[in-house]
Amino acid sequence: MIEIKNFTFTYRESTEPVVKDINLSIPAGAFVGITGAAGSGKSTLTYAMNGIIPHCYPGDFYGSVTIDGHDTCETSLTDVSQIVGSVCQDIDSQIVTSIVEDEMLYGLENFDIPHEEIDARVEEALTDMGIADLRDRVIASLSGGQKQKVAIASILALKPKVLMLDEPTAELDPASSLQVFQLLARYAREHGTTVVVVEQKIALLSQFADMLVIVDHGTIRFCDTPSNVLAHSDELLEIGVNCPRSTTLMNRLSADGLYTGPVCRNVEEACNALLEILGGSPAPFAGFVERTSTESGAIA
Amino acid sequence: MNGFLEYVPGTSLLHRMNPVAKLLFAVLFAIMCFCTSNPIFLAAMFVFALALAASCGMMRQTLGLMKAVFVFSLILAILLIFTTPTGDRLVDLPWGYIGTGSIMAAITTILRLEAAAIPLFLTFYVTKMSDLSNSVVKVLHVPYKYAFTFASTVHFIPVFMNDMKGIMEAQTARGVEFDQGGIVNKIQLMVPLCVPLLVSSVRKTNSAAIAAEVRGFNLRTRESGYKQYPFAAHDIIALVLVIALMVAAILLH
Repeated sequence: MIEIKNFTFTYRESTEPVVKDINLSIPAGAFVGITGAAGSGKSTLTYAMNGIIPHCYPGDFYGSVTIDGHDTCETSLTDVSQIVGSVCQDIDSQIVTSIVEDEMLYGLENFDIPHEEIDARVEEALTDMGIADLRDRVIASLSGGQKQKVAIASILALKPKVLMLDEPTAELDPASSLQVFQLLARYAREHGTTVVVVEQKIALLSQFADMLVIVDHGTIRFCDTPSNVLAHSDELLEIGVNCPRSTTLMNRLSADGLYTGPVCRNVEEACNALLEILGGSPAPFAGFVERTSTESGAIA
Repeated sequence: MNGFLEYVPGTSLLHRMNPVAKLLFAVLFAIMCFCTSNPIFLAAMFVFALALAASCGMMRQTLGLMKAVFVFSLILAILLIFTTPTGDRLVDLPWGYIGTGSIMAAITTILRLEAAAIPLFLTFYVTKMSDLSNSVVKVLHVPYKYAFTFASTVHFIPVFMNDMKGIMEAQTARGVEFDQGGIVNKIQLMVPLCVPLLVSSVRKTNSAAIAAEVRGFNLRTRESGYKQYPFAAHDIIALVLVIALMVAAILLH
């Protein structure tokens, strides 16, 4: 679905490239998580994948980015955005109207969705995000988290082939963050939507993503399944990416030869692995375990 | 507390009216107020405008507006008192005199500005900005670009006011004394903050433009709007009424 070949980009106002020699291939229907330290070039990478680069930010563009067979340099931003739905980092500037319902309608109207379909789509997206009761509210009166949900819902309603979200849970509490990821995973599964999420909460990413991309100083350092990436917890720490603490613990144990199983992505897996080593019964507090696994995500 | 030109939800007749009808009514009403100098007629129009405000529960906001318009029209009124020597001589001035006519002219001006401003102001408070811009595109065939520009401008006012408040609070926390002294002191302290505000607002408008474009701004046509804005009986009555008032105003001139 998305093919990036030898992509290097330098913003016009700087001399150093922000991303260097990126090669990345994302198949249709994949759930991809991108993470890395602040300023590593994650957002630039998303701009390249939703056509904002090269159409809105001028600079030196080398290599090629192809979305669903269309080269982003030769396709207009409007055409790219009919394939890729993007949720930007700055929610306030993404919102173009004053009322939640109008915000939902904006994209649907513009992309010429048949009018008889519109109401059902608005309702579905709002319900999926758990904000159906906010439909008639003035956006300025909403909290940061609610605005973020509105912004995500307004893109979900468009049902694009690719969903590109830049830190979609930055303003959300752990419960809502988990809910958003579950929803994204459902869209990937049910509609075959390709989901690309830039996110700091690595515990959530490793739980839901099929593929984890670690960006460091403008290059892709790791690009693999979450388990394979998390096996490098020491290297990740060096480049400013914190693994979930349960992963770090189990990796240490395995370095000391005390554990030989697969990499643990969350508390639940670590718990079960430890119980197996110690010869105990499976985890007794399933609910508790799930809650702490999201909390450790928030901390990590 | 609602911000400047921010929609106040409600179900009154004014809320339910067609946005285009409301806008036309308010504009024609304002023009009508400038077509006549009959103080009694203007007083009646002023009362009528207040009745409109009361009918949609907007008295508090309207009183705020009236105060602002009053200050502005008072300046004009004082100028008129000293510069229109008509009617019975009341006070002698080196360049003429203040007469009963001057006082009447001053009162007329205040009434006229107050009466003209209220319906225009109400229109923005009882109509969602998006309804207003969508309906002028659909019904009046205004190019969407202009309607969107206007709607975005109004939409960004509270966002920028919030930014300004944030910057001021941050400065206050670091010891800048915004909470001390009078308005002059406050304004002096605010001037240097205009630069960061300007930078952040240019950045915000730029990303807003991108956000609108990735959601198909360029594809939008007059037919895109999902909501329809049909004229109901009360809309036609309102337009007939304002035209009748216009005729009356010209006849009573």
